[in-house]
Amino acid sequence: MPARRRRYRIKCELIGRDEVEEIKQLERPESLVHFLRGLWAENAVFRQMLGMCPVLAVTGQLQPALTMGAATTFVLLCSALVVSLMRNLLVGHLRILMFTLTIATFVTIADLLLQAYLPEMSVKLGPYVPLIIVNCLIIGRAEACSSRKGIFTSVADALGMGLGFTFGLCVLATIRELMADGALFGVAVMPAGFVNWNVMKLPAGAFITLGILLGLTNHFFKKA
Amino acid sequence: METVSHLILVFISIALVNNLVLTKFLGICPYLGVSRRVDMAFGMGCAVTFVITISGTVTWVINNLVLQPIGMDYLKYIAFIMVIASMVQLVEMYLRKFFPSLYESFGIFLPLITTNCAILGTCLFIDLWGYNFLEALVGSFGGGLGFTLVICMMGGIRENLEWADIPKALKGAGITLITAGIMTLAFMGFSGMIK
Repeated sequence: MPARRRRYRIKCELIGRDEVEEIKQLERPESLVHFLRGLWAENAVFRQMLGMCPVLAVTGQLQPALTMGAATTFVLLCSALVVSLMRNLLVGHLRILMFTLTIATFVTIADLLLQAYLPEMSVKLGPYVPLIIVNCLIIGRAEACSSRKGIFTSVADALGMGLGFTFGLCVLATIRELMADGALFGVAVMPAGFVNWNVMKLPAGAFITLGILLGLTNHFFKKA
Repeated sequence: METVSHLILVFISIALVNNLVLTKFLGICPYLGVSRRVDMAFGMGCAVTFVITISGTVTWVINNLVLQPIGMDYLKYIAFIMVIASMVQLVEMYLRKFFPSLYESFGIFLPLITTNCAILGTCLFIDLWGYNFLEALVGSFGGGLGFTLVICMMGGIRENLEWADIPKALKGAGITLITAGIMTLAFMGFSGMIK
């Protein structure tokens, strides 16, 4: 759309590019802003570094990483919905306890669902499913967003954060599975002569890969 | 005598070989967040060891003597997190009343511990490995000590990293994670100690 682009360029010349971008942000609906923010600008894994325990622990292969991302998104969505609904009833210091109990309830549901429908994954993920309860990402979103905003914004925010988190898990898992087994989703993709990097399967590989990834995101996407 | 040597084995296993932070990735948040100085790291480690030992034991009692006999396994996670939250609260109140100086030095760390995955993780792993009461007691204490050891080592390394010439993009979390990776490789040397 050339007309729109021309208008944009004129606006930029008049009041500066940053201001135009800022006005654009303000004109967007609040829920969309929250949703997009979670995907990249405030990505849980690469930017805020919240919920590091599952990020490192379940990313040896792509499949458990994806399951973990889905479970976390489910819990995030449901707890955002419930916390947002009861936000006017919450009082002072009991607030955090209420968040934790809500999250624990949904984690129990997610755990039972996994046991019923994906028993192999449930065994593989083991205690890392119940550990979603203490994932700082979920409590953080409950405190920062759902306990203040309406249902729609909270759910959009939770969805954005959950998808961003899943994306982070999958990036790490893709790299590690490719290096460690030469495979994706258990299907060999590397050429026949590929020698497996066994260290990537070990905890050390998780730490070092994530460290380098953080360095790369800082280097290429650093805010001006 | 056999029980004693077995308990020592459990202790070494959870403190060094299966270290909570380096092999199970539990408590990564404080490991990266509070390890900037050795004294802060030590304070955090002590607080965690304290709470982990109490809540590891209490959750074992609740799980094995209350929840399992009446078949309410599905309430396990909610019960565990409630126990941990109330234990942290109790410890906080007790310390404030009887050891004010210790309370002062723990400061902000105590309330933060509730959402420390090392605590809940230890309780869950104790349940998963089917420990008995004594093993649970020794195991959770060992887990706490292992956490303290690793976080203090990290504090020491990071104090020196302050003066090192690190690439700009890796400053902060990046270099800490890479350091942790190398430390994990070093800790793999302990794996020959068991069996």
